[in-house]
Amino acid sequence: MVLDDLGSSLRDSLGKLSGQTRVTEEDVEEIVKEIQRSLLQSDVEVSLVMDLSDSIKERALEEEPPGGTSARDHVLSIVYEEMVDLVGDSTDIPLEEQTILLAGLQGSGKTTTAAKMAWWFSKKGLRPAVVQTDTFRPGAYDQAKEMAERAEVDFYGDPDADDPVQIARDGLEATSDADVHIVDTAGRHALEDDLIAEIEEIERAVDPDRNLLVLDAAIGQGAKEQARQFDDSIGIEGVVVTKLDGTAKGGGALTAVNETDSSIAFLGTGETVQDVERFEPSGFISRLLGMGDLKQLTERVERAMEETGTEDDDWDPEDMLKGEFTLNDMRKQMQAMNNMGPLDQVMDMIPGMGGGLMDELPDDAMDVTQDRMRSFEVIMDSMTDAELENPRAIGASQVERIARGSGQDEERVRELLEQHKMMSQTLKQFQGMGQGNMERMMKKMQNQGGGGGGGGMGGMGPFGD
Amino acid sequence: MFDSLKDKLGSFRKDVEETTEEKAEAEAEAEAEAAAEAEAEPETEANASDAADAEAAESAASDDAADSTASSGGGFAAKAKSFAKGEIVIEEQDLEDPLWELEMALLESDVEMNVAQEILDNIREDLVGATRSFSSETADVVEQALADSLLKVISVGQFDFDQRIAEADKPVTIIFTGVNGVGKTTTIAKLSKYLKDRGYSTVMANGDTYRAGANEQIQEHADNLDTKLISHEQGGDPAAVIYDAVEYADSHDVDVVLGDTAGRLHTNEGLMDQLEKIGRVVGPDMTLFVDEAVAGQDAVQRAKQFNEAAEIDGAVLTKADADSQGGAAISIAHVTGKPILFLGVGQGYDDVEKFEPEELVGRLLGDEE
Repeated sequence: MVLDDLGSSLRDSLGKLSGQTRVTEEDVEEIVKEIQRSLLQSDVEVSLVMDLSDSIKERALEEEPPGGTSARDHVLSIVYEEMVDLVGDSTDIPLEEQTILLAGLQGSGKTTTAAKMAWWFSKKGLRPAVVQTDTFRPGAYDQAKEMAERAEVDFYGDPDADDPVQIARDGLEATSDADVHIVDTAGRHALEDDLIAEIEEIERAVDPDRNLLVLDAAIGQGAKEQARQFDDSIGIEGVVVTKLDGTAKGGGALTAVNETDSSIAFLGTGETVQDVERFEPSGFISRLLGMGDLKQLTERVERAMEETGTEDDDWDPEDMLKGEFTLNDMRKQMQAMNNMGPLDQVMDMIPGMGGGLMDELPDDAMDVTQDRMRSFEVIMDSMTDAELENPRAIGASQVERIARGSGQDEERVRELLEQHKMMSQTLKQFQGMGQGNMERMMKKMQNQGGGGGGGGMGGMGPFGD
Repeated sequence: MFDSLKDKLGSFRKDVEETTEEKAEAEAEAEAEAAAEAEAEPETEANASDAADAEAAESAASDDAADSTASSGGGFAAKAKSFAKGEIVIEEQDLEDPLWELEMALLESDVEMNVAQEILDNIREDLVGATRSFSSETADVVEQALADSLLKVISVGQFDFDQRIAEADKPVTIIFTGVNGVGKTTTIAKLSKYLKDRGYSTVMANGDTYRAGANEQIQEHADNLDTKLISHEQGGDPAAVIYDAVEYADSHDVDVVLGDTAGRLHTNEGLMDQLEKIGRVVGPDMTLFVDEAVAGQDAVQRAKQFNEAAEIDGAVLTKADADSQGGAAISIAHVTGKPILFLGVGQGYDDVEKFEPEELVGRLLGDEE
C-alpha cells in the first residue's frame, strides 16, 4: 500500500513520546528524520519531503499543544494535518455522463486502468465505453479489446487506422450511447515532443471532463518532471496509481499530486479488471497512522461475499450465525478471505489489528497464515461430505486417512479441526449479537485483543454479517 | 539520464574543495601568526576558524609545551606530522555537509537509500584521514574517491555481451524477465535487430501466455523484423513455448532464441514459481532482467526477487530517454551483483545502447559545470 512503512516507523518514534507533555527539539528532530527517511524510501520527491518535514518541525516546536493534550497526540495531529494537506481529497468523480482521458508513460498501465475504471463505473450503474487510440504499440488494440470484454463494457478501436485523433473522434461517436467515455492513449514521456503535441490534439478533439495521469507505483523522482509536463500540456485533474500490489510505495503519486495540484483518483491493486479501488484519503491517512480503514474493509467484505456467494447458491453467510458452523462454512469463509485480497492488506484495515499489532507480528506471519489456509483447503478436499458437515465426529483413523489422502501430515489435519473448533466457539459468542453492524463487531474483536494474531481466522467469523 | 546527479557530483567536489581550502588557509594563517608572535597565542586560538582551531592550538603547543591545553586527542601525531610536511588532513566534520548534500543528490537520482548509504560510506572511508599537500588539488583526491566508489557499485562483473554470444554454443537461449509494463517485448524486438545487425539469426518465443494482446504485440514485431515467432494459445504453458522455440532453433540452425515472459509482480508467488519452472525446463544460457530507468526505490526489491526466482546474468534498463534520473541502474547492479548490459533509449528498433560503466562514471565526473 501507499507509504505503509511510514505508518510503522511513525508509530515507533511517536511511541517514544508517550507520557511526555512537552516535546523537546531533539524529539522533533528524530521524528522528522524518521518521516524523511520513510517518505524518501517511498519515492516521494526530495524537495517535497524537505518542505513537508520542515513544516512539521516548525509547527511541532512552535505551536503550543492545546490544554490537556499529550505531546504524542499533538505531534500526531500535526503529522496527520500535514499529510492530509498534501494528499488532499480523492479526485471528485461524479457518477454522471462524462469523458475521461488517460495519459501516462509507456507501460504505466493505462489500458488496464481504462478497463478497470470502466468496470467500476458499470458497477455504479453507468454505461461506460473504452476508446482505444494507441496506434503505436503493437497489440494495443487487441489488449484493450480483450480487457474491455473482460470488464463487459463497450469498446471502440480501429486496428487499421493510424490517426489517434480521428479514432478518438470516431470512437466518441460510435459509442455515443454510453454514459461514460474513457479514452485510452498511447504511452509517451515528457521529452517526446511530437507525442506530447499529439495528446494535446487528442485532448482538444475529445474535450474530456477530466484528464487522469496514470502512474506506476514504482516510479521514482522522475514523477515530478513527467507530471509537470503532462499538466502543462493537457492539465491533470487526478492521478491513478497502478501496480500497488507490488512492494512499491507509490510516493511518486504524492509528488505528482503536489506538482499538478490535483489528487489521487483510483488505485490499481492487481491484474484483473476488478482490482481497482477509489482512493479514500481519510481511510488512507488513518491506515497510515494505525487507525484502521473500516470503509474499505466493509466494501471489500461485501464484494468478496458477493463473489463467493454467487459461486454457490445454497450457501448463505447468515446461516453461520444461526445454526451449526461446519467445515463447509469454514471453507467458504476462507474463500471469501481469499477474494478479499492479500491477508496482510485486509488485516491492516482492521482497527486494532493493523498498525501496531501488525508490527509486532513477525514479518512472515501473514505468509505462514496464508500457507496454512492453503493446506487447510487441500485437507478439506480429502474429506467426505459427512465429515465436512460434522467435523466433530472425525476420529483418529479418519484423520490418518485424510492426511494420507491430502499429502499433509496428521498434525496439520488436527490443527484444522482445532481451528474449526475455535472458530465455531468464537462464532457462538457473536450469535447473541444478532444483526450487529460491522463496527460493533470490530469493537468487540478489538477488546478481545485482536482475536489472536497468528491464528488469524479465529476472529474472522463475523464477516458474514 | 543522470543529468542532475552529474551536477550534484560536481558541487560535492567543489564543496569539499572549498572546505579544505578554507581549512588550509586558516592553518597557514595560524601558523604565520604563531610564528610571528608567541604572546598572541590565546588570541589566535579564539579567532581562528573552527577547523583551524585545533591545529592552531597544536602549533602553539609545539612552540610552548606548557600551554598545550588543546584537545588534540589521538590524531595529534598524524596531524602534527602532516602539518610539518605542509599537508592537511581531511576530517569527518569537513565532509558532513557535503556528504549530506551528496546523499540527497543520490536519492534525487533514484539511487536506493541503502545503496546510497553504502556509496557514502565508501567515500567517507576513502576521504577521511586522506592527506593532501597544500599544493595538490583537493579536487583530485575527491574525484578519485567518487570515481572509485561509483565504479565499485555500478561495475559489477561486466562482461562483453557480443563476445559471449559469439563464443556460446548455438542456439543461445536468452530469457527476459521483469514486472509488467517495463518493456520486455520491445527490448526483445530491439535485441533481435541488434543481433541481426551482427550477423546472427534469431527466433522469438512468446512466453507471455497471460496478457491480453501479447501474442499480437510480439507477432507484429516479428513481422516487422522478419523474424520467426513461436507462440501458443493464450493461457498455454510458457515453459513449453520457449522449449519449442529452442527445438525449432536446433533444427533450423538459428543462433539465438529470445524468450519473452509475462510481466509479473515479484509479490505474485505463483508467477514467480512459474519463472523458476521456465528456468528449469528451458535451462537458458542467459537470463536478462528488464526494468525501467524511471523506477524508484522499489527497483532494488524487484531486482533482488527476480534474481532469486531465476538467477539473472545481467539487466536491461528501458525508457532511459524519459529524462529519468538513472539511479535504478546503480541500485540494480549493486544489489544483484549483475551488470547492466543495455539501455533502451527510444521507441525505434535501433534505440538500444550498450551500457559502459567506465564511460558513465567518466561522463558523470566530467568537467562541465
